[in-house]
Amino acid sequence: MEFKVEAHRIMSISLGKIYNSRVQRGGIKLHKNLLVSLVLRSARQVYLSDFYSGACLNAQSEREGKEWDLIDSEREKFPPATEECNQTEETRQNDQPPINETVEKADDEEVKPDAEHCTPTPEEQSQNSSSDLADRVSSESSVPDAIKQNQESPTDSTNATLGESRQPQKTHVCTTRKRGAEESERDDAPQKRTKVNVTSSNASDDEESEEMDTGNVSNLITIFGSSFSGLLSKDGAKPEAEAQDSDSGSGQICCDQMLKNLNPWSTAIVAF
Amino acid sequence: MAGVGGGNDFQWCFSQVKGAIDEDVAEADIISTVEFNYSGELLATGDKGGRVVIFQREQESKNRSLSRGEYNVYSTFQSHEPEFDYLKSLEIEEKINKIRWLPQQNAAHFLLSTNDKTIKLWKISERDKRAEGYNLKDEDGRLRDPFRITSLRVPVLMPMDLMVEASPRRIFANAHTYHINSISVNSDYQTYLSADDLRINLWHLEITDRSFNIVDIKPANMEELTEVITAAECHPHQCNVFVYSSSKGTIRLCDMRAAALCDRHSKFFEEPEDPSSRSFFSEIISSISDVKFSHSGRYMMTRDYLSVKVWDLNMENRPVETYQVHEYLRSKLCSLYENDCIFDKFECCWNGSDSAIMTGSYNNFFRMFDRNTRRDITLEASRENSKPRAMLKPRKVCTGGKRKKDEISVDSLDFNKKILHTAWHPKENVIAVAATNNLYIFQDKMN
Repeated sequence: MEFKVEAHRIMSISLGKIYNSRVQRGGIKLHKNLLVSLVLRSARQVYLSDFYSGACLNAQSEREGKEWDLIDSEREKFPPATEECNQTEETRQNDQPPINETVEKADDEEVKPDAEHCTPTPEEQSQNSSSDLADRVSSESSVPDAIKQNQESPTDSTNATLGESRQPQKTHVCTTRKRGAEESERDDAPQKRTKVNVTSSNASDDEESEEMDTGNVSNLITIFGSSFSGLLSKDGAKPEAEAQDSDSGSGQICCDQMLKNLNPWSTAIVAF
Repeated sequence: MAGVGGGNDFQWCFSQVKGAIDEDVAEADIISTVEFNYSGELLATGDKGGRVVIFQREQESKNRSLSRGEYNVYSTFQSHEPEFDYLKSLEIEEKINKIRWLPQQNAAHFLLSTNDKTIKLWKISERDKRAEGYNLKDEDGRLRDPFRITSLRVPVLMPMDLMVEASPRRIFANAHTYHINSISVNSDYQTYLSADDLRINLWHLEITDRSFNIVDIKPANMEELTEVITAAECHPHQCNVFVYSSSKGTIRLCDMRAAALCDRHSKFFEEPEDPSSRSFFSEIISSISDVKFSHSGRYMMTRDYLSVKVWDLNMENRPVETYQVHEYLRSKLCSLYENDCIFDKFECCWNGSDSAIMTGSYNNFFRMFDRNTRRDITLEASRENSKPRAMLKPRKVCTGGKRKKDEISVDSLDFNKKILHTAWHPKENVIAVAATNNLYIFQDKMN
């Protein structure tokens, strides 16, 4: 359990670093961001592996959202959008998990600081081959949310209340993470989190970020970590290749969609 | 007492310190590179403000034979200015990443200095004479009335106060998309290489409008990026050979005779990872921050976060020597990750005879390893030990248990005081250590 908390903390810190690198003088440092993403990936693997070893097994193993549910049980808040998106995803891809919305955000967050890793290419986890997120990118600007989320560094990791409140939210229809997050947030008790400067000019986003919690960040991180297919191939895991192949197409689509939504600054990075 | 660097009676002593004493250090004054020239007569430093300061060693006076000449400021100039890339909306820092001297071929001195994007060749020349007695103009430069000129006089060279001028002779720009981390002058003294995160270019010193790309590790799909180039250096004798290190802890040696594009290495140096020491940060601490050939060209040294490794160019599967710099930090990696110290890029250097190596650490400590005796020593660059010719006392970090007197515990280390840049005189036991905004010069004490 301690590993999971530690992994989660490291993931939050890593995302914060990636976000801060955007505003650093001299432009994005490719080397440092690459290293941070490696740490993020390692932490994520530990985090997820801890879930599975924690015996929080979901009976609905046939659902694509298997991994997602496991994470949910730990989360204080679960964006209902993901559920919906998952179902929508099913129509698009047969074996994609419902971690769509957070993927967007993770991707956004990821793309902004480091455009080279802009696509949420599904990362194959040894535990769950279907955990790859649906790479549907919302056309709405979920980026500010992503930024907000990354700024949050919640220290609490679990809250059972959300798990319960989540249930009725599953039926919410949601196409964007932002909307879903809003809906879920209103039902959540405020969570303890570390104070982070919020720089967004969007007032509603500020409200959202106020209510952000570990769950969203964790989801975000989960998806975020799947974006580096290159890092996966670094492991040379053959089993991963298959999942990657099937997802590479969607990853590419997602990337393209993502690129369209990038603000000029990020576009500059992509060009970089 | 026995020291490191040569001989049993060796002892390092304080010689000089340059820089302000203020507690508040301006970011622009932080030294970012230190380099002796080929003779050791000149010592160049670059800082984050884009300035280069060159110190020159004064001639040894015959009276004080025990102390060698001191280094005094010879020239100061602004090498790089902050720039703005309008196309990408990015600011380009003026910080000097590296300075490399060219061998001296005439009275002037030449050096290459680089920031993230642009390399400049500077000529530093002395002027100690001035022409006086012009025929057509007055001493203050005003033209004389032609009708008043009744006789012819020829200008005469008169001595004047020494003036050192630095002028940019070449500007090598627009060749790097990513941040330049290394430059290295080739042994042919006609070409040099520059390396950024993903590419290495080969330049001719006379030609600024084009360069050859000799290494390109940028993947077609940037999502597949797994490693970046962290340092590169030309072989000291073989002008066709160079090496580059990566963020994965590997070093590739390339031969430019093999192909125009040296994407395929000739030799690949990698030490297998110890699986028992895996952690979240294993990849970060294995990233190589500096690579340096020995003067002999037989060995090369690499610096990663916790250790220095000496490699024999003839053996690729593991280093021949490994020295732990600050192993006590291994249990603190998470904190060091949080405060960004884990990303610090320490450099390393050889002494002139390749018998000793030196690298920096935190708390203004720096470490020296004697390759022959296997002795190591930790010294500190601090104002407290700044009396002339004061002997440096070895420092020790207490790793646990009872702290002995004079030891410092790991938790007391000041991680803001880091020594990233050090240089060793090519011929003598004189070292330059950059501690934030101060430059310390130490030398041996002859017994």
